[in-house]
Amino acid sequence: MNGNFESNQKVYSQYQLAEMFTINPATAAKGLNILADEGILYKKRGLGMFVAEDAKENIANKRKSGTLKQLVQELVLESERLQITEQELMDMIKAALYKEGRK
Amino acid sequence: MSVIECRELSKAYLRKKVLNQISFTIEENKITGVIGRNGVGKTTLLKIMAGFTKETSGEIRVLEQRPFNNLYTSVNSIFVDDQMSFPPALQLQELLEAAQTFYPNWDMDFAQRLFKYFNFDPKHYHNTLSKGRTSTFNAIVGIAARCPITIFDEPTTGMDEAVRKDFYRALLKDYIDHPRTILISSHHLEEMEDLLEDVLLLKNGKVHLHIPISDLKEWAIGLQGQASSVLPWTEGKEVLYQNQIGLNATYVVIKNDLSEAELAQARLNGVKITPVHASDLCIYLTSDTKGGIDDVFINR
Repeated sequence: MNGNFESNQKVYSQYQLAEMFTINPATAAKGLNILADEGILYKKRGLGMFVAEDAKENIANKRKSGTLKQLVQELVLESERLQITEQELMDMIKAALYKEGRK
Repeated sequence: MSVIECRELSKAYLRKKVLNQISFTIEENKITGVIGRNGVGKTTLLKIMAGFTKETSGEIRVLEQRPFNNLYTSVNSIFVDDQMSFPPALQLQELLEAAQTFYPNWDMDFAQRLFKYFNFDPKHYHNTLSKGRTSTFNAIVGIAARCPITIFDEPTTGMDEAVRKDFYRALLKDYIDHPRTILISSHHLEEMEDLLEDVLLLKNGKVHLHIPISDLKEWAIGLQGQASSVLPWTEGKEVLYQNQIGLNATYVVIKNDLSEAELAQARLNGVKITPVHASDLCIYLTSDTKGGIDDVFINR
């Protein structure tokens, strides 16, 4: 997402990851395989794992439908607990948006 | 390929059965953590594997041979704990040289670098080392021996935090370069869980679980919230741990077999869903009561 890896660039091998984070290489391999199953990485036989062409959109879509949706749900729940009106909540969201300087 | 095979292995001390007909296999070049409460038979099991102790009944094969009284096993395996006996007449440097003659894969250069890194004096004697220094020296021997079967029984006893981290990292790095079968027992699962591939959980003289650590981390979930909203989710399920928090909030741990939809529904009901750490889970799984030490204080 931050552009640390470009499309079609080789990512770290399981052994490099294992050394970097002091984790079991099998665990690192499992992580890489999960990313490969999700289509974020692809394998080249004997060469290692590479970043898929559409990895960025792929991750963005997943986060929109998963993480962001859940965050919004929790936001609504919390505002109900605090008895915040719809208008107040909208205002807070707008204020946060403008603070970020996006609108 | 499996390098260690146990079939209905039992060990009794006098009439007390420590290991009760346990069966499992350990695959080659995996790092397995042996976990269990005090006195559950971890050390006994590891010592039988190393050929130090004789099994009472059942069968054990290490590298396809029976380990007890077997030279092939002693050359190909090393058992490291804080009570390893070394000849008191030899200096530390001489101990390393003696180890070199015994273990065929011994890497003297590597051993010397570890020795220097941990600031050992070659002229000191093993029996004058402190508890933590003894463990550190023994660990150096255990890593540098590069035995196909490497067994650590509570290797970090007495080590300070920095040395523990160094030890686990050194072990992992050397394992990456020279894969071998490693068994580690420890009471501190959280400090070594990243290193492990599999976990062997012992309870009441039996193998309770033998699964990959990644599965163990997802094996259970914690539900927290108002008792009225939490308890319906535990119906018909085995509750591994339950604790009252405050007046009517409850924290329960159950096996993670709820579907995504059910989890979402629970969340909407105001139930907080948290993953259960592997080390906490092991405590819950191996305890005899559901409330832990708090049960002792009930109805006082």
